[in-house]
Amino acid sequence: MSTVALTGRWIGGRIRLTARNPRALVFTFAFPLILVILFSALNGNAKVDAYGESMRFAQFYTPAIAVFSLVTACYTTLILGVATARDQGLLKRVRGTPLPMGVYLGSWVTGAAATGLGAVLLLFVVAVPAFGVKLHASTLPTAVLTLVLGAACLAALGVAVASLVKSADQAMPIAQLTFLPISFISGIWFPLDGAPGWLVSVAHFFPLSHLVNAFGGCFVPGKTSGFPAHDLMIVAIWGLVGLYVAVRRFRWEP
Amino acid sequence: MTMDSLDAVRVRGLRKRYGDLTALDGVDLNVARGEVLALLGPNGAGKTTLVEILEGHRRADDGFASVLGYDPGKRERAFRERIGIVLQEAGLDPAIKVREALELYGASYPSPRPAGELLELVGLGDRGEARAADLSGGQRRRLDLALGLVGDPELVFLDEPTTGFDPAARRQSWETIAALRSLGKAILLTTHYMEEAQYLADRVVVLAHGNVVAEGTPEELGRDDASVVSFRVVPDAPLPEGAIVERGVARWRTETPTRDLAPLLAWAAARDLELQFTVTRPTLEDVYLELTEEVAA
Repeated sequence: MSTVALTGRWIGGRIRLTARNPRALVFTFAFPLILVILFSALNGNAKVDAYGESMRFAQFYTPAIAVFSLVTACYTTLILGVATARDQGLLKRVRGTPLPMGVYLGSWVTGAAATGLGAVLLLFVVAVPAFGVKLHASTLPTAVLTLVLGAACLAALGVAVASLVKSADQAMPIAQLTFLPISFISGIWFPLDGAPGWLVSVAHFFPLSHLVNAFGGCFVPGKTSGFPAHDLMIVAIWGLVGLYVAVRRFRWEP
Repeated sequence: MTMDSLDAVRVRGLRKRYGDLTALDGVDLNVARGEVLALLGPNGAGKTTLVEILEGHRRADDGFASVLGYDPGKRERAFRERIGIVLQEAGLDPAIKVREALELYGASYPSPRPAGELLELVGLGDRGEARAADLSGGQRRRLDLALGLVGDPELVFLDEPTTGFDPAARRQSWETIAALRSLGKAILLTTHYMEEAQYLADRVVVLAHGNVVAEGTPEELGRDDASVVSFRVVPDAPLPEGAIVERGVARWRTETPTRDLAPLLAWAAARDLELQFTVTRPTLEDVYLELTEEVAA
């Protein structure tokens, strides 16, 4: 079997396994969907200031929570998954077979990205008809590109963090501690418009605020042009740093 | 290197240190093609280190190792296609199904064995759709064995294949492993159980403190010129020199049991006494304990 066919086999397997993992399904699919439904139902028509414009709440909140879904699938779940696989000797098992470790980890990463993109799609499938969230044909390609680049960056950082944590017991707290505080200052839960300048500067150091800004910016009413080159560049740089650390520090045994 | 060699495993002067600890201190070892070799030794003897070097998981500090003609340290893909590793504890995704696991892991080998055939071989024929998490401990180990065989390997590493099994499950596994031998696979087996080595192995190698301290067939190792005689002491019975009496049982080691027992039997016959005695040859276990104690002392 060629490497491409083998990779395809394992990606398919990985997605099936994720689909059987109730924890991953709840956190990636159900929880973000409940957040969007609940908060959009409560204040979908309220106006908020985000990305320098005034817009309906659901129009701001749906893309922001979509990024949250992506982080859960490609970062948090991946860290826990890879650290657990290492602790339980799964990586050691794989290392003793002809399956290249790159193909195995690649299937983890691609499976995580596919799950994340699926969860984002689900959010929009619900929120567009239910809460009148508007998509713009002209910015849709940028939105998709942002999601794919974001998934790659988050997955690279996820494998890097999984390689740095000592054990699966440490993985969950560290995944949450590195994500939640940053999420509060990155415009996921409330817009950064009106936040103090120093806080925005701190947030801009990390990739998450740029991911939210690039993706959410595609859904600003009336916005039909512009490419978030700066935001995507910073996301890409973080992705490369993650990849470098992941390759350098990867461990197959606890 | 893809040159075929006559031996499945050939090791000369293998050394490995972890800091101050010497794990392997110049080990020589051969496993012939189609041979079942049992590697015995107490915890810390270097068994795991030796096997992990041969599997390609670790590199030796010094010495020569060739597995199926490959340098295991290079971990070439062709090398990994021709060996099968059954670890004592190797993880598996809890949600993966038994047949699915065999097909997914089998996909990376050039000619994988069909899942159905493997499931029959290890006695999991009716569990193909079960998830790994729902298997009993014994079933899980049999799935591990099937996964080790999925690539139709020429050499199989079995790490303590029946540790923690009840006697019936152990017997069943032995039969499965014996069936592998009849397929002509070379097997390198580590174990703590002498019975297991006796039942399965063509040859036994005893490792202690990083050195090979004995090797031979189980019969050769178990054979010893001396027998052990023991009998329940009766008052005034004539005991031979060197007999040790403990809790009412006299025991001695002798190369001449018939000569030693003759006066005792004559004495008992004259008094119409029935003696409770046994004459045994040392078991592999006795020899093993003696060998590993000598080295420890």
